[in-house]
Amino acid sequence: MFHNSSQKKSWTFKNEDELEQLRHKANQKYRNKMLASGKPAVSDSLFLDLHEEEVLFRHYEKRLMDFCNAFKPVMPKSVVGTAIMYFRRFYLNNSLMEYHPRTIMLTCAYLSCKVDEFNVSSTQFVGNLVQESVSGQERALEQILEYELLLIQQLNFHLVVHNPYRPLEGLLIDLKTRYPLLENPESLRKSADDFLTRVTLTDIGLLFPPSQIAMTAIMNSASRAGLSMDSYLTECLELKDNKEMLSKMYDTMRRIKTLMKKYELPKPEEVNAYKVKLERIHAEFGTNTNLKRKRGYENDGHVAKEPRMTEEEWTDDDLDDL
Amino acid sequence: MDDQGCPRCKTTKYRNPSLKLMVNVCGHTLCESCVDMLFVRGSGNCVQCDTPLRKSNFRVQLFEDPTVDKEVEIRKKVLKIYNKREFDFSSLREYNDYLEELEEIVYKLTNNIEVERTKRIMEVYQRENRDVIQKNKAKLTHEQEELEELLLLEQQENEQRRLETLQEEQRQLQAKRKSKQALLDELERSHVPATILLAQHKDRATQLETQIEKQKQVVKTTIFSTGIPMGQTVSLQPVVRIMEALYSYQPIDIHTYGPQVPDLDQLGRLGYLNHVRAAQPQDMAGGYSSGLACHRAIQDAFSGLFLPLG
Repeated sequence: MFHNSSQKKSWTFKNEDELEQLRHKANQKYRNKMLASGKPAVSDSLFLDLHEEEVLFRHYEKRLMDFCNAFKPVMPKSVVGTAIMYFRRFYLNNSLMEYHPRTIMLTCAYLSCKVDEFNVSSTQFVGNLVQESVSGQERALEQILEYELLLIQQLNFHLVVHNPYRPLEGLLIDLKTRYPLLENPESLRKSADDFLTRVTLTDIGLLFPPSQIAMTAIMNSASRAGLSMDSYLTECLELKDNKEMLSKMYDTMRRIKTLMKKYELPKPEEVNAYKVKLERIHAEFGTNTNLKRKRGYENDGHVAKEPRMTEEEWTDDDLDDL
Repeated sequence: MDDQGCPRCKTTKYRNPSLKLMVNVCGHTLCESCVDMLFVRGSGNCVQCDTPLRKSNFRVQLFEDPTVDKEVEIRKKVLKIYNKREFDFSSLREYNDYLEELEEIVYKLTNNIEVERTKRIMEVYQRENRDVIQKNKAKLTHEQEELEELLLLEQQENEQRRLETLQEEQRQLQAKRKSKQALLDELERSHVPATILLAQHKDRATQLETQIEKQKQVVKTTIFSTGIPMGQTVSLQPVVRIMEALYSYQPIDIHTYGPQVPDLDQLGRLGYLNHVRAAQPQDMAGGYSSGLACHRAIQDAFSGLFLPLG
């Protein structure tokens, strides 16, 4: 249940500003680390700023979603939602410059398959990287496994994600049972589903309980169909005498809707420009940490002894056709 | 009670205290020297019953009555074959019957009743139960080994203890000698009157004595031969009763931040179950019911719905 979950305790934030602050902190942390490392080529202009990071984040997030939707066997919605939520949580406290989103997004998807009991083998998983050769898939898998533990750690081991999909089902059942005024609740499902899909690409999941999101989806869907469901709130949920709570509910829904409206897909030209920057940062600073990590693993006998430069060989374009 | 003696040379224990009587499988005695003389070639017949005997089968007679020795010997042999134990039987009754059969055989062999027939019975039994006999034999030797190990350990411990006490005594003797020597030296060199020196020495001696005594007490066994530590008094007093507050159940209060969720068993009555997929028979085998999924969905839908934000 959400009410006693780690999601409520640790991953539901007050407002957008708090998220902004966390991201700023992550960005700053990486900058300071690099500046302190005393490398010669480091300069402030080299780094991505917050906006650039956000654009790239959205780009990769969309990528992740596309990857999940094209996944075979078909991935359940909750797995997709969990994967994207992991991705979002991870980059709340980490900078895109430190860990390449290309690897992290696949790791998120892989981990969410495991956590949400969507059983695919690792080879089957990387088999969905259709553009890759077999050896390329193996390398991707190696990277996924390498980053998996880091991801889990960065998620603070809070692996259960409460998605709004089940609450939506619950609300539909409740509507059918207790709210006969609504002729055909099933008709609301399609657009409510779409709503939730768009919600996953926003910060809404970090700000509101899944039940409120699901409720907003239904209300939104109903108002689009020209139906009013206010009496459901007042009668069935007993909010008639609780004006304060009722107004708060409407307020929440309004906030969710505004957040939805604010979302826009990143512009391709921006993405391309920032990607160049990102790749440069990773080429210059990223590999070092990776190699160190790898060596550590090899000593433990976890990974085969081939310090390959996988980062370079495996590029973004491989995913483009998804 | 008449003296034991060799039936052949008529030597008795009285006349020859070092007389050693031997018994063979037939249960008749002979003294050691007669055995040596008669069985020079390794085998021969019993003087009394003409049974063919081997010299190597002679044993020192342990019991006054040689038939007891004979019985012991026979029992040993029979038990080698009849080595089943209680848990090899399904009931106590069967086990008891088996034991009785065993006693019967031993009795008959000892008293020369139907010897041939009994031996045949034994042979048949041995053939039929070869596997069990082998298995039990292995088990027995294993147990024997364990026992021997235990005995060895005990022996070592005893030896250790003996050595320790010996050393301790040695040390004490040495200490006493030393103090005596010291007294003599002092008497020789010191200008203090002898009486005072003697008194001092006496003091020291008693001190040493008490010290030794104390040590003895300390060293004194801390463990009974049964392995129970000495300090541990087996108290026969009733155990003090400890009264503790009884656990009383307090229903947990979970705040769901949402509307009331109907109880699981109320779902059907309220009509919720009409709107979910009915459970298939194969689902129900695992304990699933459509109510569970429905309940969970509604719980999720209501949990946190009224959560205060911002």
